[in-house]
Amino acid sequence: MFIEGRLITAMHLPHYFIADLPPEAVLSPGLIVEACQSLQRNRQKYLAARSTQSLVELLCGVAGDWMQPEFRLRRIALEQGPGETGFSRATIAKGLDEFFRRFTPENFHALLVQELGHVRRLDGIVSTGPEEVHCRAALALGPGLLVHVAAGNLPNPAWMSLVLGILTRSAQFMKCASGSSLLPRLFAHSIYEADPKLGACLELAEWRGGREDLETALFSGADCVTATGSDETLASIRVQLSGHTRFLGYGHRLSFAFVARGALSRAQGPRVAAGAAADVAAWNQLGCLSPHTFYVQHGGEVTPERFAELLAQELIGLEGSEPRGVVPAETAARIAALRGIYEVRAAHRPDTRLWMSRDTTAWTVVLENEPLFQLSCLHRFIHVRAVDDITAALEGADAVRHQVSTVGVAASEEQQRELGALLARWGAARVCPIGRMQTPPLTWRHDGRPALGDLIRWTDVEI
Amino acid sequence: MTSELSIFAARLRDYISICEMEPLLLEPSDDPALKAHCDAEFNGMALVLFALQCKQNPSYRRFAQARGIASAEVGHWSEIPAIPTDAFKELELSCLPAAERTRVFHSSGTTRQTPSRHFHNPESLGVYEASLLAWFRARMLPGGAAARANLDLAVLTPAAGQAPHSSLAHMLECVRREFRAAGAAEGFVFGQVDNEGAWGLDFEGVVKTIRAAVEKKRPLLFAGTAFSFVHLLDFLAVRGLTFALPEGSRVMETGGYKNRSRTLPKAALHSLITDLMGVSPSGIFCEYGMSELSSQAYDRVEVAGSRVFRFPPWARARVISPETGREVENGETGILQIIDLANVFSVLAVQTEDLAIRREDAFELLGRSEKTEPRGCSLRAG
Repeated sequence: MFIEGRLITAMHLPHYFIADLPPEAVLSPGLIVEACQSLQRNRQKYLAARSTQSLVELLCGVAGDWMQPEFRLRRIALEQGPGETGFSRATIAKGLDEFFRRFTPENFHALLVQELGHVRRLDGIVSTGPEEVHCRAALALGPGLLVHVAAGNLPNPAWMSLVLGILTRSAQFMKCASGSSLLPRLFAHSIYEADPKLGACLELAEWRGGREDLETALFSGADCVTATGSDETLASIRVQLSGHTRFLGYGHRLSFAFVARGALSRAQGPRVAAGAAADVAAWNQLGCLSPHTFYVQHGGEVTPERFAELLAQELIGLEGSEPRGVVPAETAARIAALRGIYEVRAAHRPDTRLWMSRDTTAWTVVLENEPLFQLSCLHRFIHVRAVDDITAALEGADAVRHQVSTVGVAASEEQQRELGALLARWGAARVCPIGRMQTPPLTWRHDGRPALGDLIRWTDVEI
Repeated sequence: MTSELSIFAARLRDYISICEMEPLLLEPSDDPALKAHCDAEFNGMALVLFALQCKQNPSYRRFAQARGIASAEVGHWSEIPAIPTDAFKELELSCLPAAERTRVFHSSGTTRQTPSRHFHNPESLGVYEASLLAWFRARMLPGGAAARANLDLAVLTPAAGQAPHSSLAHMLECVRREFRAAGAAEGFVFGQVDNEGAWGLDFEGVVKTIRAAVEKKRPLLFAGTAFSFVHLLDFLAVRGLTFALPEGSRVMETGGYKNRSRTLPKAALHSLITDLMGVSPSGIFCEYGMSELSSQAYDRVEVAGSRVFRFPPWARARVISPETGREVENGETGILQIIDLANVFSVLAVQTEDLAIRREDAFELLGRSEKTEPRGCSLRAG
C-alpha cells in the first residue's frame, strides 16, 4: 500500500492540455490563439458530425469509470485533491460519486427533451409531435468555440460546463482560476483517454485573473462565453466581448432552507437534521447551492433548539466519516472570531446557543431566535434560526431575495407543493428537499435558466 | 464602587513608573531570575485585576461564567478568558457606572458599522495616558528628555478636540503635551476632519514644516495612520517633491487602511517614506494599538530582519491557534490575544482578529483577516 501510495503521488499526467504544463511554462496570447484554432479544426474533423447517442454513451462510460474506486484518475483526484483544493479525501470522493451517479442515458434523454424538445435535436432537423402537426421542424446548433471561465471554489460547475459543451459538439477552452484546475483537468483527461479525438476538442489552462492580453486572445474567437464568479468578474468579462459573442454569466448565489412544523415530528425531525448536515458538509458548504441558514419553525415536536442540537450531532458524525479538512489560518481566524461573538451573545441571551467542534474549527452550529437571514462564513458553519412561519423566514431573507439559488424544504407532503409555489413566486430559482441541496439533477436549470438550452442557436424549418 | 479598582490603578501606575526608572525592566531579558520576577509580578497583578473585573463588570462576569471559569480558580494569567473585540460593539464592557463615564473611544471603520465602545473617566484616562506615554518614550524617544528637546513633533491625525472618539488622536494629543512639558515646541497638528467626519491633511502645512526642518537641520517625528502617510506621499509624488529630513527624523505609523486610501504593503509604504521624505528605514516604526486597549505595541527589526512587535511589561500578547484556542509554537501563525493590565476599568483580556506569527514572547503582525460579510449583511443587521 505504501509503495502504491507513493506511486500515485508521484504520478504525473501526460501533457494533453496547457494546464498540464509545468508552472514555469509561459503563456502568450499567440499560444492561446493557436490553441483555439486547432480546437476548431479538431472539432470540424472529429466532433461536429458525432451523434448525440454516441456522446451520451461516452459520457456515461466515463462517469462509470469515475465511480470505480480503482479508476486511476479518481485515485489521483483523491490523492492530490486534498492538497490542491483543501477538501478532504472523503469529501471529494462523495462529491465525485454524487456528481457522476446522475450520468445515465435516461437522465441525458430527459435533459435533451426538456431543453430541446427532442432527443435528436442536435443531430439533425427533427420535429416533435406538436411541431409535426404544424408542419415544422428544427435543428439545434451549439457554439463552434465555447469558452468557459471557471471559478475556483468547487469543481462540479466546471465539470458540468464541459459536459454540456460536449453535448453541443463545441470546441471548448476552459480557463480555470489560478491553482484550481486539477479536478476539471482530471475530468478532461478521462474524456481524452476514453476518446482522444474528442479530447483533442478540449483545452484547459489556468492563470490568475486580470491577464487581459490572454483573455483578449481567448475571447476573440469565441462564439459563446460562460463564466462563473462575482458580479465584478462577470462585468469585466462582458465588456471584453464583441457583440456577436453570446455571454452566459453565473453570478454568486446563496441558498437557505426552511423546516416546517409538519416535518418536525419525533420520527421525522432527526432524519431532516441528518439531511441538513449532509447539505452543510457537501463540498464544505462552499457552493452556491449550500445552505447558509436553516429556518426552523416553532411548534413542532422537535423544537428549533432540539433541531440545532441534532444537526450538531450529525455534524460530529460526518466529521468522523467525511472530515472537513484543513483550512487556511485566515479562514480559521474568521471562524474563531465569529464563534467568539456568538459565545458572547450566548452568555447574555438565553435563546442564543452555540455548538462547535472542540479543538478544531471543523463545524459550528449557531441557534438564534431571529428571523433575519444570516450569511455564513461557510466551511461548515451553519446558522439555525427559529421562526414562527415561512412568512417570517421570507421577510427575514428579503435582503438577499435576488441572490437566492436554492431553498431546501422539509414539510408535510401536502405543504411541500404549497411552499414550492410560494417560494417560486418569491424568487427562489430552485426548491428541493433538505439533504439534496448540493446534488441537483442533470435537468437542473442553472440559476433558473436552461443551461443546455442557453448554449443553442436554433434553425426553424417550415415544411 | 470602584475603590478597589482605584487601588489597583494606583498600584499599576507605580509599577509603570518603576519600569520607567529601571530600563532593564523595559527590555526583553535573558536573565532567568529577572524574567521570573517580571512574570510573577505580571501574573499577580493580572489575577487580582481579573477578580476585580469579574466583580464589577457584569458582562465580563457572565462571559467568564459561560466559559465555566471562576476567578478564584484561575492560577495563571494565560487562563483568563479573553473577550472578542467585537463584544465591545454589542456590550457595555465597563466597570464604570454609566454616570461616571466622561469619555468614550470608538473603533474606526466604516460609518455603517457599529463601532466598539471603550468607556473612560478621568481616572481610567489617567492610566491610559501613563501607559501610552511610558512606552512611547521608551520606544519612540530613546535618549530621554534631552533627545526630545531636539526633535519637533508633526502629527498627521486631527486634534483630539476634533476627533473626540479617537483613542489615537487622544494618544497623540498626550504626546504633544509631553513635548510641551519637555520644553520643546508642542508640535504641529496637520490632521483635519471634514464635515462628514473623514480625516484629511493640511498638505501645504506639512510641506512648509518639512522645508523649515530641513533648513534648520532640526529632525522631525512624524506620527499618523498608514493611510494619512499614503495621502501625504501621494501628494508629494504628484508635486514631484522629495525631501531629505535631517538625521534623527522618525516616523510612527499605525493602523490599517480601512478603505481610506489605496492599500500599500508595509515594505512599500516604508520605502516610499524613505524615498520621498528621507527618513532612514531604521527611523520608521509601526505602532499596534486599538480603542479597546490602553497599551500599545511598537515594532523594531529584531533577529533575522523581521519586524517584531512588543508590548510594555504591563501588557502581554499571546498568539493563539484559531483551531484549538491554545498558544501556538514559536514561529507559527495564529490570532493575537492581548492581556493589558492598563485596561483597569474595562476588560483586561481581549481576543483580536489579527493574525500574527509568534516570535517567542513577541509577535510579527500579518494583519487582519478580512471579514467577508457579503453585500448587504452584517452580524449586527437588524
